[in-house]
Order: sequence, then structure tokens, then C-alpha cells
Amino acid sequence: MEEDRVDVTLDAFRLPGGGEHLIQQTIDEVCEIFIGLGYVVAAGPEAELGYYNFDALNTPPTHPSRLESDTLYLDWGDPADEVLLRTHTSPMQARFMEAHDPPVYVVVPGKVYRADTPDATHSPVFHQIEGLAVDSDITMSDLKGTLAHFAREFFGPRQRIRLLPHFFPFTEPSAEMHAACFHCEGTGATCRVCGGSGWIELMGCGMVDPNVFEAVGYDPGEVTGFAFGMGVERLAQVRHGLSPIRHVFENDIRVLRQFRGIA
Amino acid sequence: MKVSLRWLADFIDLPTDDPDVLADVFASLGHEVEGVERLDVEFRGVRTAEVVEVAPHPDADRLRVCKVSTGEETVDVVCGAWNFEAGAIVAFAEPGAVLAGNFEIGRRTIRGVTSHGMICSEQELGLGEDHRGILVLDPGTEVGVDFAGLVARPDTVFDLSITPNRPDCMSMLGIARELAAYYEIPYRVPPADVDEAETSTKVTITIEDPTGCYRFVGREVADVTVGPSPLWMRLRLQAAGVRPISNVVDVSNYVMLEMGQPLHTFDLDEVAEETIIVRRARPGERLRTLDGIDRELHPDDLVVADAAGPSALAGTMGGEHSEVSDRTRRVLIEAAAWDPPTIMYMSKRHGLRSEASSRFERGVDPNLAPDAAARAARLIVELAGGVALGGARDVVAVPKEPWTVDLTTKDVARVLGTGFDRDRIAHLLGRLGLRSEPRGDDGLSVTVPTSRPDLTRPIDLVEEVARLWGYDRFDETVPFGRGGSWTAEQRREQVLRRTLTGAGVYQAVPLSFMRIEDLDALGVPDDDERRAVIRLKNPLRDEESALRTTLLPGLLRAARYNVSHGTDDVALFEIGKVFFARSSPDDPRVPEQPDRLAFILVGTFGPGELQRPPRPVDVFVGTALWRLLSHRLDLADIDLVSGSLPGLHPGRTAALVSDGTTIGHIGELHPAAARAFELPGRVVVAEVALAPILAPRPAWQFAEPSIYPPVTFDLAFVVADQVAAADLIRVTTAAAGGLVEEARTFDEFRGESIGRGRKSLAVTFVLRAADRTLSGDEVAEVRRAMVEAARTELNAELRGET
Repeated sequence: MEEDRVDVTLDAFRLPGGGEHLIQQTIDEVCEIFIGLGYVVAAGPEAELGYYNFDALNTPPTHPSRLESDTLYLDWGDPADEVLLRTHTSPMQARFMEAHDPPVYVVVPGKVYRADTPDATHSPVFHQIEGLAVDSDITMSDLKGTLAHFAREFFGPRQRIRLLPHFFPFTEPSAEMHAACFHCEGTGATCRVCGGSGWIELMGCGMVDPNVFEAVGYDPGEVTGFAFGMGVERLAQVRHGLSPIRHVFENDIRVLRQFRGIA
Repeated sequence: MKVSLRWLADFIDLPTDDPDVLADVFASLGHEVEGVERLDVEFRGVRTAEVVEVAPHPDADRLRVCKVSTGEETVDVVCGAWNFEAGAIVAFAEPGAVLAGNFEIGRRTIRGVTSHGMICSEQELGLGEDHRGILVLDPGTEVGVDFAGLVARPDTVFDLSITPNRPDCMSMLGIARELAAYYEIPYRVPPADVDEAETSTKVTITIEDPTGCYRFVGREVADVTVGPSPLWMRLRLQAAGVRPISNVVDVSNYVMLEMGQPLHTFDLDEVAEETIIVRRARPGERLRTLDGIDRELHPDDLVVADAAGPSALAGTMGGEHSEVSDRTRRVLIEAAAWDPPTIMYMSKRHGLRSEASSRFERGVDPNLAPDAAARAARLIVELAGGVALGGARDVVAVPKEPWTVDLTTKDVARVLGTGFDRDRIAHLLGRLGLRSEPRGDDGLSVTVPTSRPDLTRPIDLVEEVARLWGYDRFDETVPFGRGGSWTAEQRREQVLRRTLTGAGVYQAVPLSFMRIEDLDALGVPDDDERRAVIRLKNPLRDEESALRTTLLPGLLRAARYNVSHGTDDVALFEIGKVFFARSSPDDPRVPEQPDRLAFILVGTFGPGELQRPPRPVDVFVGTALWRLLSHRLDLADIDLVSGSLPGLHPGRTAALVSDGTTIGHIGELHPAAARAFELPGRVVVAEVALAPILAPRPAWQFAEPSIYPPVTFDLAFVVADQVAAADLIRVTTAAAGGLVEEARTFDEFRGESIGRGRKSLAVTFVLRAADRTLSGDEVAEVRRAMVEAARTELNAELRGET
């Protein structure tokens, strides 16, 4: 047998690599957390109507986010429809509720668009995951508990969160969800992840504004709900340090090769 | 919004000045802290001193020799600044003093004159950016005292991000109100009473456009002396990020920062006929604004005009002509309330965002104007002298009164849960200055001041209850949905992705745009559906000017990026949308935007061994990936046939056909297109509609493996070049009556011996019956039938058999 000995460390036969993009892995992981809570996963159009992107979401006709400096408009369709590239995944809140009676528990991952020139922190395209829960008795505590559950599943069992008051046209009350910095655990004055604040801003959220229920034909006296929208790049960035954002879209195989499985 | 703690102390006595504690308080109130700046005294050994004499330097034209007195002694100081004369009170650094940046002052001899210290500029003291001249202190400043005591430091400045629904918080007063609500302590309003002269102003004010202007308050201050404002005010403005200009202008900015009401001051002598008219701009009108830009006005622009024409862009920027200058004697203070969208569109149109416009865009309380104008008049009289005239104008085009909102405990409980009874709700709202009266059994009638335009519905008040209660005090509960799972399509997409990644392909996420030139590079003809391009109305760059109608340009560019960065072997796939300029079948108001799968292979692909690199890619690598997908996703209903597509190699392209419809292509890129995208060698691409691949198939059914032995034989046929191997296998397999378990081409050959236009295809067949051992005779019979079928249907000639 001795003469049959080989150097087993020799890479004499090589199989090719390959792997899913970190954005995809993150989307799947987040969706599965919510599937575990009884949610379904839906998708919607990226070229969207101004109505769903803004009006149905209680965004007034004069809101600055509608300006061409913020939103990419398409040279197609009825000008009155203001066909645009959706600026968030929230239009699917309205589309989904229009198509389904309550209760609704849904998450919607997908691409969103902004009138931004690519640089270290901006990209005209990025990804969000929208969440929407509408039922007869949803409260702030449900929002808080759900996001805390998500944070523990995504970042680890000891993860803490806080909600801070904020403003979005389509939620009231509105909040920004922060997760305690898992990197420095609040101790690093120069932490690369939280910048020393001890908290990482993760997403916007809130209780669905009654005007949104009105717009989709739900009776705001019968149902309440919460909604949230998180940036997928942001999640990937804080957990894996992927920065600047152009690496997400450059598709450099030296970067893609780093996207090992996360689950 | 920059908030100095020292300034804030004018309005409220906070229980703490700990920046960390206050930052948390601001955050919990919904005012995100974007930065905290600590302002320290960066110098020591600097005293106030008087310049008693100024003389030319004997040996330098640009220097002067000053006699500077601290009261105790008078010394010679050489100074290069010219913005002061004898009598000025200055910040004097004696030898031994240390200035900002740890710069120590000593005695120096400059061109023969010994300088016993230095007269300091703002910059040298670390107080500001100004270094064009020395810092001249207010007349009457006590001489000989430590200057550190006069600079309002140390101080902490919070940079707060105020959300667009809270115009009331864009001021020190507003922030004080929030903190007062938080701590349940009182706050103070700045004094706004002003002694008026008996003479009344002659100014007339007309609001011609009540859609743009709700209210316009005008106040005249006469006999002012324009000059620098006092140090304390300049320092406060600087801490807030506003550049001091002159006492009159500084007062208007100061009151804006203090109370939230942006003000404008006109040189009244430059207001034609002392007439103010608020109206939209007329065709052809122009205005030279304070920034020196001559602007053509738009008919939607709202202007403050005088008898001669536009004098200011309402709420956005004043005009140069009526600007307050050193010569100004009579000032007209404007405190107005503008329509927020009008201001927003106007400031965007002119690329002008000012402290004023950013407040008016959110909506300034119209009832703030009278007090703010009076406060400004009081401060101008205090700092610039003169006298406030009587007869202040207050033109109200659209009156705004406090309103009431009815709220029930049920409204609160539905959203916030239990624990909020009527008293608690009334108390929480009361902390914000909202008065509540009981209404019915469980209701409240809440009076909302005009400073809170965001509070018009019960839900708005619910938010305030939650905010004051504290978001951190709510429980955490987790509701469950009605049972969720991935849909069949979503699961199949995961199988698809994992099949490709398992085979060695990386998933790419390119942007969703392309350039029209990409289609030209691919040779896409005018009538091709890929020419149904939707362009962006407002693209930022040429690269993002059109929505892609094919995933290929993005992958080609990604491949190019990798090759140019030294990665020769590229295998990428993408799943994403393409967009066509026609209505979506799901919603005709939006464009059709189907999902696609595409992949690209460059270089080599597959397993490699010592001395044996992976296979250089060609169309067969692409079709192999397809067959793998076809197997994993049960896609036997989709046929792979010879095909063509502009942009792909005409002889090396396969079409994928489902139900008679071509759903995609796999092939090598046309060499011209490969050149255009600067890619070397053969480039394999595929693009396929995703929906037909992901559509669920009926569950596959188990087939019992035969226990009988197989019979294997090879057949080599000579066929015309255009006969597809797949057809040969199909025809021969069909003729075998269900006995073919496997058929695999093992050779394709062209050559002289066979003849031009012909080729040899050699196939290994494995035959097996489910219920018996095949006899030699039976196999011979089946083989004859297979050969015969190939001959009659494909004109195939048996070349040899083994």
C-alpha cells in the first residue's frame, strides 16, 4: 500500500465555487424568520404608480419625496398615473390589502429606487423588506415584540432593541427601530458599526395610519396594524461589514466569493 | 437644528447638562441627535485691552504699531490687521498666552519693532473661521479682564434632526417646549414687548395672493445705525451655524432661531413708495437675490414686491436692491406666514435652500408673526439704536385659530393597548400644552394650538400620548399570522438558485438599467421586443437612462469588470426584472415587468485537475447547465432546440420552447458583441423567462427500477448536418417502444470520409424492460426498428454498430 500513498493535501481535483448573493441570502433569512411567525412572502411591481407609491400611503401631493430630485419617473404610461420606480417596498402594503381581506401578515422583499448617483453610501437601486400585520387587535406592543423577536433571530438571542419616535406619512405613531450594537455592545467610542452611540438604526416602522386603511377599503374602526421597512444592504452591512455599497452591485467575484452561507 | 445648551438656558432650567443624558432625552422625544459638539475655551492668558494709539510701522507698509492698554500697563504691539482704529477694545494675548492650536505667544521683534503680544482674530481664539481682521469687541467692554469669561464657553451644541411634521421644533423655544413637556417643568418665552414711538409707519401691505400668503406682519424701525452685533449674539449665531452679518440682519436670524419665525428685513428707503404687495411673479420679471444671482422668475414664484417690482422671493431669499446695508437708516421687518408647498417648489426651482425656506416648507405658525416681529423690533432698537414706529401692520389673509380634536380612550387603547385612562391621557397631552375637556363617558375634547399643524386627527394625539408615555415603556408581544410558508414558485426559485450555485455559478445583482447603446452593441434590430425600451424622465447619468429590456448588458458589464480586474473565469447568474414599454397583464397602468433568469460564462468552467484546467466555455457548457436545471426542476416539458437570437452566434444558439412558445435562449455571444463588451474568447449567455420555469409541475411519480439486466449497444449514424442529435435520440427512442432507459451521444464527427454537409453521430443506448430479461432476438428486433425509424424519418444512414 505504501507505494499507493498520495499527498492528500494536493488540490488534484477542483470543483468550481458558486454562491448566492449576500442580498439574496439576507432576504431569504429575514423572510424565513417571518414565515416562522405565520407571515407569507409576496412580491410586487418595481415600475409602480404614483398612487401606490405615495397617495395610497397618505403622502400628500406636495410631499418633497415626490420631487424629481428624489424619485425616478418613467417616460411611459398615462402622465396622470405618474409611473415611477418605486422608492420603497411600501406600495405593496396597499396592493396586498386591496387584494386580500384582513387579517394580513405579509413580508415583501424587493428592489427599490432613488434618484441617487452611486457613491460610497448611495446607490440608485437597493433592496428593502416590507412587513405588514393587520388584524383586529394589533397594538404598539405587537410591533415592538415582533421587531425584538426579529432582532434576536437575526443578530442573536441577547439582542436588545429600542423604538424611537419618528415620522412617516403612512404610519402613526411612527418609530425608528434601533438595535443595540452587537459589535461593541455600547462600549466603543469609535465603533465602526454604531459610531460610538451603542445603537444601530435598522428600520422605520409604525402603526398603520388610518388613512392607509381608508385608501385600500379597510375599515379603520375594525382593524389596526403595524408596518415596517428595513434596508437589506443595511442589515448585510452591519452584520458583515460590507461597505461601500457599490460592492453590492459591482459583482466582483472576489467579493461574491466572500458571501459564504449565513444560516 | 443646532441647539446650544447655554442659549437654551434662556428658556428653560434643565435638571441636567450631561450631554449623554440629554441626547437620550432628545432621541426618546423623536429628535434624532446627529452630532454633539463640545465648545471649549481654547486659549488662556488672553485679556481685554484697549488700543490707545495706532501708528504706522516705520519699516513696513502693511503693518501698524499699536499701543495697547490693559489698564495696568501699555505696550507696543505690531499688528497686520486694519479693521480697527484707536479706541477699539480687543482680545489681547500677552507674552505667555496660549491660543487655539496650542500656539504660545512670545515677544517678537518684527522689522525692528518689538511686539509685546498679539491682538487676536476669531480664528486664533478658536471662536470662528474669521481671520480677515482682528476680533473687535463691543464698545464699553471692561478692559483688563480675562477674555475667557466673555465667550460663553464651555458649551454643548446638539445637532438635532427635526422630522418634517414638527415645524414647531425648529427653534430654541420649540425645543424648550419639548423638554418642558418631558421633564414636566416650566419654560420661558422671550420678551416681545417693544416701546413704540408715537409716529406711525406709513408702510402699506397688500396680500394679493392669499393662497400663497396667510399673514404678513410689517414693523418699521427708524434711525438705526447698522454695524456689527455684539459678541454674545455673534457667538450664539455661530454656534447655531449662522454667519453673523450686521446687527439688523443678525437680529432677524437670531429671532428665527429663537422663536422659529423666519424674518426678513428691508431697507425701507429702497422699498418703492413704501408699498408691499404679495403676489405671484409676472411674466418676464427678474430679481437679483442676495447671493448676487440675477434670477428669471417663474409665474408660480411668490414675491414680495414694492411699487416698482419684485423685492424678495417670499420666504426664501431677499433681493439685493432692498438689502439692509451700512447706509440703511429705516428698517422694515417682515414676519409672514407662507404656503409651505409654494415655498418648497420655489426654493427647489431656484436651487435655494435657506434656513428660512426650510422652516416655511414645514409650515410656520401664522400666529407667531406678531410676537416675532415685535421681538425683532425690540432687539434692533437695543442693538442698532433707533425707534420702533407705531402702527405695526398685521394683514391676515387666512385666519388660523386653535382647533379641537375629539379623542376617546378607545382610540388610544386600540393602538397603544390598555393602561391609558382619561386622566392619564389628559395629563400626558397637558404636558405638551394641549388643553383637554371631558367629553361624553370616555372622551376628551382636546384643543390644539396653531403651532402644531400635525395634530388634526385622534390618531395624531394617540401618537403624542405614546411619545410622552415613552416608547420604551410598552410591552413586547408577538402576534402570529395565519400560518405562512414559501409558495411553490418561491421554493422552486430557491431550488433553481441552489442548483446553479452548486454547479459553480455565482449570483450577481446588477443595477436594473441599461443604455440604448447596449442594444446596438448586441445588434438588436429595430423590430426586436428588446427595443420596447422605457426611458427615465429624470436620469442622473447616461448609465442609468433606460430600464433594461434584457438582463444581458448588466451581466456582460459585470463579466467585463471581473476580467479587467484579473478574474479570467467568470460564471454569474441573475434573477431579476426586465421592463417593456407595454402594459402589464396584471395591471395595465404599469409596464410589463417580467422576471428573467440569465447567466454568463467567460473563460473556463467546471472541475479542474492537475495539468488539466477546466473546460473552456462554449454553448455546450450553457446547455449542460440548462439540463441540470431541467432535471432539478422537472422541466421535461421545455424543449431545447436549435435557435437564433440577434446578439448571439447564429450557429451556436439554442432556443428553449415551451408549449410552442420560445421562452429563452442559450448560446454564445456573437463575436462582434463580445468585442463590443471587450470580452475575450467565447462568451456563453442565457436568458430565459422565469415564470414558465417556476410554474409548479404535477408531482412526479415513482417508477420502480427494473430488476432485470440492461442491454447496452452503440449506434453510429451519418446524417445531414442540420439534423439535431436530440431529434435522432427522440426518433430512435420512440421506435424502441419504451425500452430505452438511457441514450447518450458519445461522438460527433465530420470529415472527408463522410462527405460535405454530413456528420456522424454515435449514441450509446441502454435498453431494459420492467418485467423481463430482454432476449437477443428481441433486442435485435428493436434495434432494427430504431435504425429503420432513423432512416425513414431523418434520412440517417447506419454507419457502424458495436
